[in-house]
Amino acid sequence: MARLRPLEHTLNTRLGEVPYSKKLSSILVDIPLILSLIVTLVFGLFILYSASGQSDLMITRQGIYVIFGIILMISIAQLQAKTYQDMATHLIWVAISLLVIVLIFPAEGYKTNRWIDLGFISFQPSEIVRLMLPLSIASFLTRKRTRLLLKDWLIVVLAIFVCSFLVIKQPDLGTSIIIIIAGFLPVFLAGFPLFYLFSFFLIFFLMSPFLWGALKEYQQQRIITLFNPDVDPLGAGWNISQSKTAIGSGGISGKGYLEGTQSQLDFIPESHSDFIFAVLGEEFGFIGILFLIILYAFIFYRSLKIALNSKSEFGRVLVGSLTFIFMVYVFINILMVVGIIPVVGVPLPLISQGGTSMLIHLLSFGFILSIKRSNYDIN
Amino acid sequence: MDEISNFDQKKKNFSLYKRRVILLSIPFLVMFLVFFLQILNLSVFNNSIYATASENNRIINIPIYSTRGLIRDENENLIVENIVHQKLIIVPEKTIDLATSLLELQDLLSISDGDILFFKRSLSKRTYKYEPITLVRNLSPEQVAKYSINKERWPSVRIEANLVRQALDGPLYSHIIGYMGQVDTDNISESGDFKYKLDALIGKAGIEKFYENILRGSVGYKTVEADVHGALVRQLSKVDPLKAPDLFLSIDKDLQSIARESMIGKSGAVIAMDPKSGFIKALVSFPDYDPVTFNQGQQESLKAIMQNKNSPLFNRAVSGKYPPASTIKPFLGLLGLNKSLIDWGTSVEDNGVFQVKEDGRVFKGWKEGGHGEVNLTKAITESSDVYFYNLALKLKINEISDFLKSIGFNSITGIDLDNEQTGTVPDQNWKLGQTGSSWYVGDTVNIGIGQGYLTATPIQLVVAASALANKGKAYKPKLVKRIGSNQVKKELLYTIETSKENWTKMEDALISVISSWNGTAHNIYELDGNRIAGKTGTAQTSSLQEEEEYSVIRAESSRRDHALFIGYGPIPDPSLAIVVIVEYGESGSAVAAPIAKKLFDSYFTKKL
Repeated sequence: MARLRPLEHTLNTRLGEVPYSKKLSSILVDIPLILSLIVTLVFGLFILYSASGQSDLMITRQGIYVIFGIILMISIAQLQAKTYQDMATHLIWVAISLLVIVLIFPAEGYKTNRWIDLGFISFQPSEIVRLMLPLSIASFLTRKRTRLLLKDWLIVVLAIFVCSFLVIKQPDLGTSIIIIIAGFLPVFLAGFPLFYLFSFFLIFFLMSPFLWGALKEYQQQRIITLFNPDVDPLGAGWNISQSKTAIGSGGISGKGYLEGTQSQLDFIPESHSDFIFAVLGEEFGFIGILFLIILYAFIFYRSLKIALNSKSEFGRVLVGSLTFIFMVYVFINILMVVGIIPVVGVPLPLISQGGTSMLIHLLSFGFILSIKRSNYDIN
Repeated sequence: MDEISNFDQKKKNFSLYKRRVILLSIPFLVMFLVFFLQILNLSVFNNSIYATASENNRIINIPIYSTRGLIRDENENLIVENIVHQKLIIVPEKTIDLATSLLELQDLLSISDGDILFFKRSLSKRTYKYEPITLVRNLSPEQVAKYSINKERWPSVRIEANLVRQALDGPLYSHIIGYMGQVDTDNISESGDFKYKLDALIGKAGIEKFYENILRGSVGYKTVEADVHGALVRQLSKVDPLKAPDLFLSIDKDLQSIARESMIGKSGAVIAMDPKSGFIKALVSFPDYDPVTFNQGQQESLKAIMQNKNSPLFNRAVSGKYPPASTIKPFLGLLGLNKSLIDWGTSVEDNGVFQVKEDGRVFKGWKEGGHGEVNLTKAITESSDVYFYNLALKLKINEISDFLKSIGFNSITGIDLDNEQTGTVPDQNWKLGQTGSSWYVGDTVNIGIGQGYLTATPIQLVVAASALANKGKAYKPKLVKRIGSNQVKKELLYTIETSKENWTKMEDALISVISSWNGTAHNIYELDGNRIAGKTGTAQTSSLQEEEEYSVIRAESSRRDHALFIGYGPIPDPSLAIVVIVEYGESGSAVAAPIAKKLFDSYFTKKL
């Protein structure tokens, strides 16, 4: 096939013989994708500097995460899919274990049991799970070359619900929704019969009153506020109304970098994490928003291209899943910030402050790149 | 599975995958469209709405008030000044747990329930964000100490300096300067651009009320940028308020003091006025009160004032309505002369009793047996009732009421005090409207001696006295002589027209009231004293029944007669007109006239 590159792309062999630019492109695998990621990350650091009230400390820490994440991504990109494809199935056990551990030994000092403290570092296992889950499920569903049986599907669905249940228990509504999506994406892409899928949704829909009852009061409140944020602008609707005000007041070209009054005077809550998009909207306006959306769209396009070009079914399912999960993050966050969906506490990928989220996203792109690399090696 | 079927399976899987990817992309496309429309809606179509909302978030207009103008006397001596008190304020937005903080503070500082209630009411009425609310208006030194030790517990609470009115001479000027009180909701909404503070004190009576809009000064604004916590980030602009001007009263402190001292133990009013300008030199209504009680909200003393049956808050000088009694006689005399119904020679036989022909009703004069043959001069000197019964009958009620209305009765003088009353000048229509019965001749007769339905306020009487002093012209009474550097001009109120001869003879008659051995106020005459003119009056508070003797009535103090005196001096160039009314004082000559004399003497001595 014309599309396939010659042997020189194999890193292990004959690396010394290819020209420097080729070497670089073989290490980086997909330069446009990596470049667009880096542009997004750097842009993110700029916005974060403004959103954090010009905190050098926060930028330094986030910068370290960014550099560490990029290194991690490029390292993962060097892996051959076959080295982890089979093993990945068992990640589900790691995932479930982590989610159980966090409920039993939560890090102290947080209101919710979302963190594990290892002394030198603390992280949110649910963030890692949303990468492990598609890896494990993609591996499990593509391990056999035969048609999948109903039993296989049921095992997977059960695993997804166990994970999301454990996350709800933390409690973390936003992430548990992400976990369900992260689990069902590979299932859907692997060809889960639509009949079963609709059945599931029907059951889910019928059970929704019971699920509503299972939600914590503040979680219900968030959903209620969404539909009527003006009822109590200083209470639960405050976040949405302030972030809408920030974006709306930014207008077409924005108030200027570090000039956003909503951002700089703390009117936007969580401006450095979940609501950082409002800071972008206020200071860079409609044009800034468009710029970021184009970056995301380009990342989506490059990743989807890798998915569709993938030679292995595992690669296709995994990359497709990871790509869509990334976009799910993007949309949950931006739709929340502009007041279309409830406030669920999902950070804006690659922009929001937060180490775990950043590393996991870059790790995901590492796997996406690794699948692209693996294509060459199949030939 | 063989190679081909494996390949087919792969191909099949790939096309299924592609379909799934397309299927998945649809909701993302929809989400993108929804998002894009919302962004357009926010930052393009509704940009101005959100821009305004964002400005309102951060920009706070804090009003700056001028310090209240001071009140001074003619010689610039302070009468009312502002002194610093400490108040406890709280910013609710910065308070994490308002209810608990309130309870703790209430417990520590023993804040009254009233203050807490006031605080809670103020919460909903604030005019700008982060506006502090007063919790305790006047902190006692003990409260300040207790708070200071524990202040770290409530970071949103602080002590602020508060300017409070201080009347330096206590009750001396109470009915002139009035007092301050808590601004109410109506005051705030009616204050327009000025916008009173929620805990503002505003003039509730007297000069403080009448000149409220001048004393409060103008309002300035400080526009600041604040963050979400209300912390001031920077000041954007500032408009200073104009300084409120001081008011300078025309009051003579010595005269005022003497007037007040002479009223202690009595109730009534004393007003002294410069007839040439209308400026008030002394104004006392007694009983009075200490304005400090109100200005500083001393609860116990306030209660005592409110419960006092003698109504110390009632300003008798401008609101008290009294029968003018015999003090009306000189004016009716002038009317009779003007209408040519009498001349100075016209005489009447006064045997102490007057009978109305129509209904046979009998009216007695104040003196048993009468004054014999009286002309106008004698009728004024000795205050003959029978002479004026006759005159009133000749004049008819409409003539009398028209004339009295033309010389300021039945309407306010417009003195710069609040709550001035008009008194009553009755006529047929008035009586029909008020009592439903028609006018009797006897009613007219009564008015001849300033009784019956006729009432006047002390301020109207002193103005009328000043018209006598000026031989015609009466000026509008005024307390404030100067506002800042602007002199207040005198204003003509009315003029009594009559011939020069009439004026001279009327003045002679009024002088003889005091100087003549038979004058009703001869008791205050001094051979080489100041020449003063005047007229006494003794107003009946209850009409005598025929069989009832006055001695019976005397026993009951609330039915005793009011004592009145109007006068002016020195002759020939009067510089002071005075009215004295002593409620239940019984005798104009014995009680009211000596008070006026004291004032005249003090004032004239000082002038020399």
